[in-house]
Amino acid sequence: MSRRNFLTAAAFAVAAIGLGGAARAADVVKLPCVCELSGAGAVSGTNYRDGAHIAVDEINAAGGILGKKIEMTDYDTQTDPMTSRALIQKVIDDGAYVIIGTVYSGSTAVNMLVAQKAGVPQFTGAEAPDITAKGNPYIFRTSSGAEKGVPALTAYFKDTVKAKKIAISWVNNDFGKGGHDVFLSEMKKAGIQVVADVPSEQGQVDFSADVSKIKQAGADAVFVYLNEEESARILKEAVKQGLKIPMVGEVTLTGQKVIDLAGGAAEGALAHVGLATSAPVPSIQAFAANFKKIYKRDTDHNGIKGYIAVWATKYVTEMIGKFDRKAFADKMHGLTLDVAKYPHMLLTTSWDKTGELSRESFMTEVKGGKQVITGTVPAN
Amino acid sequence: MSSRRPLALIVAAVLLAVLLILPVGHGSYFIYLLCSWLMFTIAAMGLNLTLGYAGRISLAQASFMGVGAYTTAILTLHGWPWLAAAPVGVLLCFVVGLLLGFPALRVRGHFLAFVTLAFNTLFFLVARNEDWLTGGSYGLSDIPRPRIGPISADGQLAFYYFTLAVSALAILALWGIVRSPWGRAFKALRENEVRAESLGLDTRRITLLAFAIGSAFGGLAGAIEAPLVQYIEPNSFAVGESLKVLLMVVVGGLGDFWGPALGAAMVVLLPEALRGTRYYLIVYALFVIALMVLKPTGLMGIGKTFLARLAKSRAAAATEAKP
Repeated sequence: MSRRNFLTAAAFAVAAIGLGGAARAADVVKLPCVCELSGAGAVSGTNYRDGAHIAVDEINAAGGILGKKIEMTDYDTQTDPMTSRALIQKVIDDGAYVIIGTVYSGSTAVNMLVAQKAGVPQFTGAEAPDITAKGNPYIFRTSSGAEKGVPALTAYFKDTVKAKKIAISWVNNDFGKGGHDVFLSEMKKAGIQVVADVPSEQGQVDFSADVSKIKQAGADAVFVYLNEEESARILKEAVKQGLKIPMVGEVTLTGQKVIDLAGGAAEGALAHVGLATSAPVPSIQAFAANFKKIYKRDTDHNGIKGYIAVWATKYVTEMIGKFDRKAFADKMHGLTLDVAKYPHMLLTTSWDKTGELSRESFMTEVKGGKQVITGTVPAN
Repeated sequence: MSSRRPLALIVAAVLLAVLLILPVGHGSYFIYLLCSWLMFTIAAMGLNLTLGYAGRISLAQASFMGVGAYTTAILTLHGWPWLAAAPVGVLLCFVVGLLLGFPALRVRGHFLAFVTLAFNTLFFLVARNEDWLTGGSYGLSDIPRPRIGPISADGQLAFYYFTLAVSALAILALWGIVRSPWGRAFKALRENEVRAESLGLDTRRITLLAFAIGSAFGGLAGAIEAPLVQYIEPNSFAVGESLKVLLMVVVGGLGDFWGPALGAAMVVLLPEALRGTRYYLIVYALFVIALMVLKPTGLMGIGKTFLARLAKSRAAAATEAKP
């Protein structure tokens, strides 16, 4: 180690870290969107962000929130929990009023601690049960957690399919594990035997072993709890291996992205969906059509989640009549936004004291390359 | 040499002073990034010892960070102070690194890369599936920040100074190791193993030591990561993270003492600095590719070439001016 090397290093280090940010004061309210715009969560995160931006444009065109225009800046977490934590820190430093995101549970579990500490309300798209089980008063869901969604399927397996033996294919991350654990306890309660319990990796490409395991187990139906791309892969593999039993999912399995990726293989797939873009509700269909007009592609439920997060921020802020984060969080607990009075919520939505969300949900099926609603599950 | 030492000390002092005042007035995001940079610097410097000095590749540095992080997290969650928990983690990494060093005695190059890669995967699977110990996929959260006597490092700035102090001590220790007979033995091992052995060097012991010490530094980085993020989960220590640490070492300049610090700055801070642009990840990736193609000796190589040219032109100017 010579002096020269040391000098070089020192000069570089100082240059590399001398990156400060200049704050800019304006009469705006900051709703930063911290989302998965690259990496494994890019599909969900991008839809979430685009939905949120539609709401921002609508609200700004109508005069903003309490007369202030919304400023929404996008931040890409790369689907990395540590980066997401840094970014939540950054947006709080920059004066975020309410944070929109993140969508993936693994990231949310980390970064919500930061928002909680700073007392900044946060609308997450995450569905893992533990998110609302930690007593964080600043976290709010934009769709029901797995502990609410999965039980809605129990009746379907028990009464419609009349399943005695069932298989589960799940992604082994905290999102998948959350759904998996709830599912196992639900099946135990319902007296249905789980004959194949098949975990897979996030980003797994080959599902042939998974499908043959399920096939050999002789299950009457299979519960698929995977992210979008993996869902499409297992559907294709099931067709390839001639797996004839019903494939039933929670939220993702009949999503637009899965249908696009799996093509004909998605036909007949079933899912319980908290928020479906094909729901027989005029406001939701109008939103989906508007989304397609703006972005030239279909959205999945994540687009709606981002959209209602921003609108809920406007409604609740105007209810309390000031930009007060603590009052905002307090107001949200136990709040119901009736769609008759708050049309942009698209469906009547309630939050309980943990930030868990409840609203009407749907049973869906893929028919003719489209997600079709086959039944409605009341709010629970 | 002796005339140079005071200057090096002055530069070190100036750098330390810059690092001391740098976070003042900045938000906690910037401070968090600095902590993250220091943490990765320690991990990368450890890997640099194994790879850059001793010439033994390891794709398992993230798993050592994991061992350090999980040990620290579990112990501090059970009420241990950080000062007691972290050394246990570091020691554990030293021992595991020693064990992992054994295959390094038999295999080289790509094969060694695979052995260490397998180890990293093994660690990941254990961390994810042994729920009772590691919390599985849910990970461990609410990890307390260190408290030393009456001083608590709970705040961002306090934690930064804590990290800076630990990093400075770690770098000082490494500086000592590299300049010791061991350090020279590591280099001898890299340059020519047979010759090193013929000179009476116990290559077996030196190889194992290179692995163990490098791993221990990974463990120390992990012991900082746990209280920094206050949440750990298996994915933070997967193979991809090992590659990230490897990238830091290579980008900075393999086998150069300060290279990893620059490499870590580049990998941790550059994507953040480029964040304003839409295609920032592409820009970043292209930069790394261009650097590796045009200047395989890394950032330190660029700096050295520049300084060498400067010295040359100065010398030329001096000789011209003479007559």
